[in-house]
Amino acid sequence: MRDRRITEHPILDFKTGEVIHFTFDGKPMEGREGDTIASALHANGVKVLGYHFITNRPRGFYCAIGNCSSCLMIVNGKSNVRTCTEPLRPGMVVETQTDRGVPDDV
Amino acid sequence: MLINTGVPTREQLDRLLPSPERRARGPYAMVECFQEIPCNPCSTACPFDAILPMKDINEIPAIDLDRCTGCGICAGVCPGLAIFIIDESKKDGTATVTIPYEFRPLPEKGETVNAVNREGDVIGDATVTRVLASKRTKTPLITVEVPAELVHDVRFISLIDEQSFSDDTSSESQKSPVSHETAPKTDDEDEIIICRCEGLTLRVIRDLIREGYTTVDEIKRISRAGMGPCQARTCGPLIAAEIARMTGQQVAEIQPSAHRAPVKPLPIEFFLGGDSE
Amino acid sequence: MMYNIDLVIVGGGPAGLMAANTAAEAGAKVLLLERDGHLGGQLVKQTHKFFGSEKQHASMRGIDISTMLGERLDAFDGRVTVWTNATAIGFYEDGVITVDHDGVYKKVKPERVVVATGASEKFLSFPNNDLPGIYGAGAVQTMMNVYGIRPGHRVLMIGAGNIGLIVSYQLMQAGVSVAAIVEGLPHIGGYAVHACKVRRAGVPILTSHTILRADGTESVESATIARIDRSWNVIPGTKKTIDCDVICISVGLTPLAELLWQAGCEMRYIPSLGGSVPLRNDCLETTVKGVYVAGDVTGIEEASAAMVEGHLAGLEAAASLGFKSDNYDAERKDCMDQLAALRSGPTAEKIRSGLACAESR
Repeated sequence: MRDRRITEHPILDFKTGEVIHFTFDGKPMEGREGDTIASALHANGVKVLGYHFITNRPRGFYCAIGNCSSCLMIVNGKSNVRTCTEPLRPGMVVETQTDRGVPDDV
Repeated sequence: MLINTGVPTREQLDRLLPSPERRARGPYAMVECFQEIPCNPCSTACPFDAILPMKDINEIPAIDLDRCTGCGICAGVCPGLAIFIIDESKKDGTATVTIPYEFRPLPEKGETVNAVNREGDVIGDATVTRVLASKRTKTPLITVEVPAELVHDVRFISLIDEQSFSDDTSSESQKSPVSHETAPKTDDEDEIIICRCEGLTLRVIRDLIREGYTTVDEIKRISRAGMGPCQARTCGPLIAAEIARMTGQQVAEIQPSAHRAPVKPLPIEFFLGGDSE
Repeated sequence: MMYNIDLVIVGGGPAGLMAANTAAEAGAKVLLLERDGHLGGQLVKQTHKFFGSEKQHASMRGIDISTMLGERLDAFDGRVTVWTNATAIGFYEDGVITVDHDGVYKKVKPERVVVATGASEKFLSFPNNDLPGIYGAGAVQTMMNVYGIRPGHRVLMIGAGNIGLIVSYQLMQAGVSVAAIVEGLPHIGGYAVHACKVRRAGVPILTSHTILRADGTESVESATIARIDRSWNVIPGTKKTIDCDVICISVGLTPLAELLWQAGCEMRYIPSLGGSVPLRNDCLETTVKGVYVAGDVTGIEEASAAMVEGHLAGLEAAASLGFKSDNYDAERKDCMDQLAALRSGPTAEKIRSGLACAESR
């Protein structure tokens, strides 16, 4: 399988940002500086970001710019984080969301 | 037809062809732009005024081939990558075509590449004679030598060891363009998701419409469609279209859903916090 | 606290950036709100060269236009404030705009507003349309051109408008193969030159075809397409399954006009403009005094038109506050002329008829 990250492009220069370590459902993964959570997951081959709380169908992002809200995940224990626009930070604990989400202070 | 297939017709192309004398004299530009679109960089970029100034930017470029030197500046700026430089002046059975090629890796001078036609089919070999990469336009111009009889067909190249982009599904030209805006019929209503946020299928929405809920807001109140985190951005237009279809109305007649602040869900403490600056 | 300012511009895309530049140049104090972490809107992923004329930076790539317009704002230091990660979340009757700025709730009361919120992508209904791997065309562009990540290995594109054609081409530039472009209409909607580009690179454009369904267990593994007749009925015996791991939906955009609805602007549903759009006068002022609009929120068009509209809206909003340069008349006429030129060709016929319905008296 070819690498998902584009290294050579006719128009764009992609800087190879610093490696950022995070975990997805307990698995250690690497992203790059400049990634959103969803882009880093995609680079690791993760397309399924959650399962719908009613239909149980797998969910992935649709718009990638914060409109459609199909990319909601649990990040550092907080539900309903829009991972398509949320920047990836070192040490983030990212988890698949399967419910509507719970307030983080209960 | 170009508008059905994405490939210009032989007739359209033949009209561009210069006289035999001009073709024998030296390189010239083939401006394969057949549609009036608002675009004029070719005419403003030509240093020899060979691409005539446009009164209206929608004009199809007109070229004075006595002035054209085949320099290729227009080919580098054309946003549609629709200009090719042809040189048929060599009398050795070969000719060259210069192609704007915005892909990586670039071929090297001397390399043999696949000669590809306007349909994307490989029609022979080509030898790269020049690679002109411009930092400014970022549109490299690749000149390839091909058998003279192919020079009016070769419009693209592919590298020989590269996996080809082409596919076995072929397209055929169509007739009678008629626009139609009805959605496809389907019997798989349970597998079609209309509201992604609340997980509502087409069947649920259709059942509600049949029960008499015929505005977007009514469907929203009874089913929560559009009340999820996207606030109906994704499902709203689909629901309005479905109501219109089932009730025989125009979408314009369907009362849209009310839009209230905030436009996205926010935790209550966000509003309590406020701005202390 | 309440922020008081001459002009708030909502949206830092092509229209908003031009509005901010123009209004600041005229002397107005401007606050530019951008939902994303950076300015540019959809320009930041437009790697192709723009059409139009020099005045709309034709032949420059969208991504470079974005940088240029953003940098220009720096020249007005003091007069332009930019808030990124700032979503305008409400627009109230008393003219107050509420903002989520980096998680902090802020209230702004401007004298004038330019709403340049752009558009959102339309979704399509077919079985399994929610499978991961089914992405909007803009999402695919964002993944590739902003984050440098290939959305998949083999893409089926739905829609042969300009965006579908351009994104197909950009996918190939990123090293992703495009299985086919499927278009329900019998003709290609986008510019012919874009279609030629993808055809010669080997991508079939299947007009009068539709997607019947997507399949896959956890994410897209294949799509079924078929030929349709003019009434959109599937022609028996034409079903074909295409292996692909991404289905890219490019079936149009719809104006993102929530704030305008909230502000009480009179809206009209105009299909050729992509959905409900605000009625406005020739200064791009809506039926709510002091609320101006520019770009895709006024109706879906090319980015070149959005930039000119932004210029005009910024000019008019500033002028209505008394910030009127000696050039005002010439600049206004120039904008009108540019818009007329961009919209005068046969490809803009639908836009012209739509715009005629969006005029307010």
